[in-house]
Amino acid sequence: MNAARQSDATPLLRSSATRLAALYTVIMLIGVSTLLVSVYYANQEALRRESELMVLAESQAMRDEFLFNGIDKLTHMLQQRADDWGRIGAVYLLMDSNGKRLAGNLSGWPVDAKASSDGLEFTLEAREGDQEVDHPARGHVLRLGNYRLLIGTDVSERRRMLQQMRRATLWGIGLTTLLTALAAWLYSRRIAARVSSVVAACANIMSGDLSRRLPASGSHDEFDSLASTVNTMLERLEHQASVLRTTFGSAAHDLRTPLQRIRIRLETGLQSDSPPAVRAALAEALADIERVQRTLATLLQIAHAESGAGDQHLQRLDLAALAQELVELYVPVARERSIALTLEATGEPAMRGNRQLLAQLVVNLLENTLKYVPAGGHVAVRALRRGDRAVLEVADDGPGIPAERHAEALLPFRRLSDSADGSSGGLGLSLVSAVVRMHQGSLGLHDNAPGLRVCCEFPAVD
Amino acid sequence: MRILLAEDDIEIATHVSKGLRDAGYEVVHEADGEAALAAAGAGQFDLLIIDRMLPHKDGLAIIAALRAAGSATPVLVLSALGTVDHRVEGLKAGGDDYLVKPFALAELLARVEALLRRGGSGSAAAGKMLLRVGDLELDRMSRKVVRAGKPIMLTAREFKLLEYLMLHPDQVVTRTMLLEHVWDLHFDPQTNLIDVHISRLRQEIDRDFGRPLLHTVRGAGYMIGERA
Repeated sequence: MNAARQSDATPLLRSSATRLAALYTVIMLIGVSTLLVSVYYANQEALRRESELMVLAESQAMRDEFLFNGIDKLTHMLQQRADDWGRIGAVYLLMDSNGKRLAGNLSGWPVDAKASSDGLEFTLEAREGDQEVDHPARGHVLRLGNYRLLIGTDVSERRRMLQQMRRATLWGIGLTTLLTALAAWLYSRRIAARVSSVVAACANIMSGDLSRRLPASGSHDEFDSLASTVNTMLERLEHQASVLRTTFGSAAHDLRTPLQRIRIRLETGLQSDSPPAVRAALAEALADIERVQRTLATLLQIAHAESGAGDQHLQRLDLAALAQELVELYVPVARERSIALTLEATGEPAMRGNRQLLAQLVVNLLENTLKYVPAGGHVAVRALRRGDRAVLEVADDGPGIPAERHAEALLPFRRLSDSADGSSGGLGLSLVSAVVRMHQGSLGLHDNAPGLRVCCEFPAVD
Repeated sequence: MRILLAEDDIEIATHVSKGLRDAGYEVVHEADGEAALAAAGAGQFDLLIIDRMLPHKDGLAIIAALRAAGSATPVLVLSALGTVDHRVEGLKAGGDDYLVKPFALAELLARVEALLRRGGSGSAAAGKMLLRVGDLELDRMSRKVVRAGKPIMLTAREFKLLEYLMLHPDQVVTRTMLLEHVWDLHFDPQTNLIDVHISRLRQEIDRDFGRPLLHTVRGAGYMIGERA
């Protein structure tokens, strides 16, 4: 038996490991993004405040200079500071009421000066190598009597820094996400692989190979502990199965040997010159022994099929060919009882199976239906391929079984109507059910309106 | 004809031995596995009847040992293990036929006769292409059946049934033997299937002719032959 038949690999999106991995990735993404984005904004704010504080401190110093020492001293101080300021990117411009430049490192009042909520925004023209470039700047305008003093800073450096930081943040988020997703994918693949090996091993074992055990990785993780628990369970099952098999074996021996002796005595009695009445009784007893024998054989056959021991005799077979042989075998019997027995075979319903057990399944279904269908009835046997299933159906137009008793009909020794002979009719469907189970198939009883339709489906092979 | 019977149940062994002797065979009985293997190796036997569960040595192991030593003597396996798979195991181990307990003596005798004829002079029939019983002829090559010069049309399965019967002329062939060899079914259906098929075959080969060839042997099975 292989596991693929039992369950194909779980679709990726339905796997719980994949879902867990995806959740993990999303949580990591949210965490890392929050961290990096807040670092970015904190930096941005810090830089802004730094330049603002500088401008503010300078403004305070200028105002004090002007108030205490007058415009000339201020002009002088500004000229002295020009070199330092240029280096740190500070700009200033002192103008009188006529718009005349008194001091500063700007040649004139910026043309695009725009007042914003916290100061003035404007553009500086600067030389970088041979090129004229615009640098964004921000500043304050200070009114000192009739004079105007513009104090500002070149913010281009700050912007560039923030831009780099933004890029680093995005890369950080992207890479983290990628690595997390990769790790999560590998993790889920590993989990999926281990789970599917457990599933495959279990499927194998379920189909009757009780001697197999789940593999342990040796890492003593939760999978190993699961495997060891399942293995303990399997050991117990295997033990029970072997006890059961031995018990059945000895039961068969212990029942059949005395049956054989009874038979011998009856046969010896029949050979002697006993009175006719005695001979008749002996013959009836012999017929009863045969019935017991048949029931015993069916019981043992059910136990045998249920134990999965029949797996050793699996071969590829065509259900349609088997059905045809058996229908052919039963047509004369059906005709004797005025029942029309027909076969409809379509496609090639091939499967792996135990030929003898499947033949017995078909025979039991046929005998069952022939027993209940009245003269003039019709029994249709169908063998067909339905998708990946090889299907065998036996449908009749007899009295049928009420839907609520369908499950009951499959239990051993349930006789749903009075069958003519006291033979092993009570076991026929139980054996069918055991054989279907042994072949990983499914068995369904359906209302054929009127009548009963028994449908056996098996995994098909090509 | 010498037969070795390896069976540990004394009552069954006594009964079977008596039945075989009454049918004209010489019987040697062993109740122990090791002793049975030794006897089979030493004596000249035409047939071995070996129970599957014997003390000291398993019946299938005895057969395997004999086959390994090059013995081709036909073996009939008796067993209380009766599932179809057990039969297959028994036949695979080198058994030529497999009979599940409890069996009727008539069934055992029919199978013994079939095995002995196959192994001895009767094997000539198995190789023959043209089988003949009285004025009934069956050509295994052209798959034609003729009785008294008159062709008889049979279905494929009826042909196989008649072929098996004619391969065992004047021998009792039981219903289970027919199920096994003609239909390859190693279990007993409840219905009187074989009787119905035999009566149909009888219609074809016997109805329009004076002397019936296909006879019912009460309590045993069927036989094809000229004697009534």
